[in-house]
Formats: sequence, C-alpha cells, structure tokens
Amino acid sequence: MPLFILRYQMNGLSKIVVDSKRNSLRIGFKDLKNYSDLFYILAYKDLRVRYAQTFLGIIWAILQPLATLMIFILIFGMIVKVDTQDIPYPLFAISGISMWTYFSFVFSQSGNSVIGAQEMIKKIYFPRLVIPLSKAIVGFVDFGLALLMLVVLFLVYGFAPSTNLIFAPLFILLNIVTALSFGIWLSALTIRYRDFHHIIPFLIQFGMYATPVAYPGRLVPDKYQFLYNLNPMAGLIEGFRWSLFGGNPPGIYLFMSIIVILLLFISGLIYFKRVEEIMADII
Amino acid sequence: MSDSLVKVEGIGKRYKIGRRKSAEMRETFSNFLTLLKLRTTNNKFYEDRESEFWALKDISFQINEGEAVGIIGRNGAGKSTLLKLLSRITKPTTGRFEIHGRVGSLLEVGTGFHPELTGRENIYLNGTILGMRRAEIKSKFDEIITFSGVEEFIDTPVKHYSSGMKVRLAFSVAAHLEPEILIIDEVLAVGDAEFQKKCLGKMEDVTGQGRTVLFVSHNMRAVSQLCDRAILINEGKAVYSDKSDAVIEKYHEFLSNNNQGNKYIENYPLNKSVILNSFSLKENELRTNEVVEFNLNIESNSINHITDLSLLIFDDNYVRVGIVDLRSNDLFERSKISQNVSIKGAINNLPLIEGTYKIGIFIYSNLCHGNFNDLLEIKILPRNSDFLKYSKSARGIVDLNFSSIVC
Repeated sequence: MPLFILRYQMNGLSKIVVDSKRNSLRIGFKDLKNYSDLFYILAYKDLRVRYAQTFLGIIWAILQPLATLMIFILIFGMIVKVDTQDIPYPLFAISGISMWTYFSFVFSQSGNSVIGAQEMIKKIYFPRLVIPLSKAIVGFVDFGLALLMLVVLFLVYGFAPSTNLIFAPLFILLNIVTALSFGIWLSALTIRYRDFHHIIPFLIQFGMYATPVAYPGRLVPDKYQFLYNLNPMAGLIEGFRWSLFGGNPPGIYLFMSIIVILLLFISGLIYFKRVEEIMADII
Repeated sequence: MSDSLVKVEGIGKRYKIGRRKSAEMRETFSNFLTLLKLRTTNNKFYEDRESEFWALKDISFQINEGEAVGIIGRNGAGKSTLLKLLSRITKPTTGRFEIHGRVGSLLEVGTGFHPELTGRENIYLNGTILGMRRAEIKSKFDEIITFSGVEEFIDTPVKHYSSGMKVRLAFSVAAHLEPEILIIDEVLAVGDAEFQKKCLGKMEDVTGQGRTVLFVSHNMRAVSQLCDRAILINEGKAVYSDKSDAVIEKYHEFLSNNNQGNKYIENYPLNKSVILNSFSLKENELRTNEVVEFNLNIESNSINHITDLSLLIFDDNYVRVGIVDLRSNDLFERSKISQNVSIKGAINNLPLIEGTYKIGIFIYSNLCHGNFNDLLEIKILPRNSDFLKYSKSARGIVDLNFSSIVC
C-alpha cells in the first residue's frame, strides 16, 4: 500500500501528513537528516559492543585481514606464483584485501541489520534506512587498519605510490556506495524472505573469487571480461590498484561498474522504501 | 479547525492473518511466472489460506493544541494499533491523518537499550532513537539522571542494573522528550509505587504545560485525572467520544452489558494447560459487610504445584482494593499438589461502600502464573442507614463503623 509522508515547516512546527492513497518515491532525505545523530550513535554502539568483553579487543580487526594476507601470500604468491608485474605480491594482495574487507563487512552487517533491529522497528518510528546506512561508518575501523597495513607494506618494500593516488578517495567512495547498495537490497529482501539471510555469506565467499582480490583481473580471458566486469567490485579494485601503483588507466569497464553501482544504489533505495512501509507488519 | 494539531480522517488498518512467510515467496514466484505467461492461471491455493482482519476501521477525530485525550477500550479493541499508526510505526490501509509538530511516543520504554553500554551511553542511544538531538540530550542530561535516581551507576553497563533501575532510566529519558504531541501507552504500569507517583506527577506537568497528549490506559483513574476528553474504541471502531468521565461511564456500562457471566464463569482457560473449571459467587448482590461465599475449582492436565493463590478485588477504576490470600485455607493445603484444586470459602465481611467491584484471581504455580483480573463482578448495595449519608465520592472505598465512647 502506498504511503505518503511529507514534512514541511508551518508556524514553526513541522507537519506530517500520512495518506494511504498517495504513493511516493521520496526517500525522505529530510527525515534522515533529522535523525543524523542516530546514525552516529548506532555506529558508536556497534563499535563499543563489537569488542566488549573480548581479551584481544581491537586486535581482532587486524588479525582477520592479516590472516587472509598470509594465506594469499602462501597460495597465490609462493605456490601459484601469480604474475603481478613489478608490484611485490604482499603489497598487491593487501590493496585488494583492504577494499574487499570493507565491502564484505558493510555488506553482511547492513544486510542483516534490519532483522537484528526488529524489536526497535516494531516499537518506534525512525527512518529505517538509518540502520543499514550506519554500518558504513562501523566498517571504517577495519578499513582504516587494513589501509594502515597497506602503508606499512609500502614502507617495507620502499615502493613509491603512483601519482594517481589523488584518485584513490574516489574508489573508496565508490566502494562505500557499492557495499551499501548490496546491504540495502539484502536488508530489505531479508525482511520479506528470510532465505536471503543464508545467501549473504555465500555471496561473500563466492564474490571474493569472482573479484580480483588475490589475482589481477587481466588474467581473466578476454571473452569473459564483459561478464567478469558486471561485478562492480572488479572495476573498483582494479581502479584502486591503478591509483596506488599506476599502469594502464581503467577503461570502459570502470564506467560500466559505476553505472551498475548507481543502478543498484537507486533501485535499492526505492525497494527499501517500499518494504519500509510494511516493515513493522511483516517483520 | 485551524488549531487542531492532530487531524485523523477515516483511518483503518487491515492485517492479513494465518499466512506464512514461505508461502509469500512461493506466491511472489508464482505471480512472476503468471506475469511471464509461463502459466495460465494463478494458483488459488495460497489465496484460500489468507484471511483479513480489520484491526481499525474508519476512525476520525481531531485533537486541538493543549488537549489531553484518553483512548480507552477492552484488550484487542484496536487502541494500540491506533497509536502505532499515529506514531508512524506502521501505515494505515485507508484514510489519512495530519500531525502538526513533533510526535514523541512512549509505546514501550527502554526500546533500544543495549546491555553492554553504560547508563550514560544508553541515555544518548535511547534519546536519539526517540527522536532527540544529541545537543538536546546533553542539555537535559543532568535532569534525566536526577529524575531516574541512578546517578551512582551512570557509568556502569546497563546489564548490571536491576530491572527497576532500567525502567526508571528509560522512563526518565522518555519523560524528558519534549515533543508537541506525546503519545503514551500504558507506561504508568511500570516501576515501584514511588516511581509511579513521580511519573504521574511528570504527566501532570506535561499536560499542565499545555502539551498535547494522547493517552492509552486501562487505569481509568489516571485517564480521568489527566485527560479532558476520551474516545472509546470497540472492535476497531470509535464508538463514543466525549468528556473523559462521561466516556469512562459509558465504558463501564458497555463492559457490564457485554459481561453475562459476572456471577459465575465456567471452563475459562488460564493458559494451555490450566483451566478454571468454575469460579462462582453464591450471591453477587449484597450489602456492605455481608458475607461473600465463593467456589473455585481449578483443573490442569498434569500435576499443578500451586504456591500462591489469591482472590483480587478491584473497584470500577481498576484500583485494587484488597486481596483474599487463599494459602491459609485448609482445603487448599490438601489439594494443592494435584490436578484438581477445589476451594469453597467465604469472605467473612466485605466492608466496601456501594458500587460495582470486580473479582479476579492471582495464581502462581509450576504450570501457570499471573493475574486474571476481570473474572467476576459483585455489586454492593447501599447500607440501610438512619441518617443521611455523604455522597459516594466523598466516602472513599472502605465503609468504617463508629461507636462513641462516653467518658
């Protein structure tokens, strides 16, 4: 059923109109802005709770990418001997791992977030979108630590980053949007069909092999390149590497990734909005 | 009206019941196939299982600025659904409403409390969930802590709090929300008596300040004290709206018309394993200080070890006026560890002034525990007296005797 919510200022008071007959594709940015503090506080709560009563605390956030890095160095660097041209393999791998770690963390956290907040949703109003969106902030801690490892490896190998480095923030931004797009889609789908809850870990595991995290994307045969690049993370990680190490600039596939990401993001917001209206009833 | 803050026009809410979620996905899939013309007809199998239920139908009302309005009605009448719609937790199926100003709802105190966070952190968390800004919470922080009375433990994780402390902290946050329209559902039932008094005081402050309040409660005394106006809801429809005392009276009338078994009830299930076989009064119309004889039979499907059993007596405002502790009864001692507990007894004198009282039971056993408030009704008639009595409202609840002593 359609729902129409509009807020505007009248006599200094905000006005809320809820009409069952009118439909709206409004995302309610104004409403989100009113709840911006909630956004930060939910992220703070997650960070505080995540390592509460653990002995190693924040060290866990370093151990996970470090372990992945070790395995990659062993398998792809030493056994398979993946050709990364003149980039030292550990440096190559950690650049992919840092981006993928952020993506998979935010994707799985936000994908499961709405189900996890069902008690709140049944009892009180607030823009539901705040819940998956706040996970983007939580992921910064792990991402920051992975980037720190990247910087350390740059220093260890005495490798000078490329001048393309100024484009790195763009790829990081795109990574945030991609992770949120998947997260928003999955969080809304999980509310309606719990089956999707089980799909998330599968997608992440499968996705890591379908993305150039441990190996360079050019190893994929040309005839499969188009299909391969439908995965927006492929273009992003290749682009991020280009900004760090230089080489061939990203071509048409990066634009394709950006279009896929924007389509996923906008459709995700619209779908989430539609599910939001019936969320409290079906959760 | 230009100054109405809340304007509700014909809102209704329909729920679909008896429908499983997995069926929904199959249905979506089957609709999808129909859409693709891969199948000619839709599968009727899923539609048959679905049934509809209107929790609310065609409700319209307006609330002006500074008014406090009570919503009353029996359990399941649709009161909570109405509040859920107005606080935008869920949306109406039909109709529309307009609200001018910020809405704060106290549907459930303590929503979003996280046990690992400290009291201080939870104040911020809970406050922002309720719609407050961080700066706003900061400015009221000291007030919130003082009101809650948990100052000493403010930097202790909430998981170490007693349930009473949690409730006090949560209510304190909610009470300091300053919305133009405050929606409250039954929160006054929480906490100890002292804290309830504090809360009622806070509520009086809020209504006194000209805040607009929508109040759902079973506590008729609170409704009558706090609300100017009330709306009676029954079976999803607003059946009566007037000054709160008039509506409360209508509600009582309504309850007694709908309550045939007020002298006895039979086969009343307390839960899935314990049933109240019979509960009856010998007479349910008597005079002050007369003997009340009763009969109580409880049956269960397995051994029911009852540790507590009492009769509860309420006045027509649902204020508990007394209990009869049946643990002292001999019969009860003999039959309490069995599948059938039968008690025949009498309250030797019931010194209540005239009026209608409700009798319920409280039971605590391995199979079942809780208050069952609204079981029987007893009517006390005015005592014959040779002098002119004061009015009922002046005489309180208990009728006391007096004899003079000549010095």
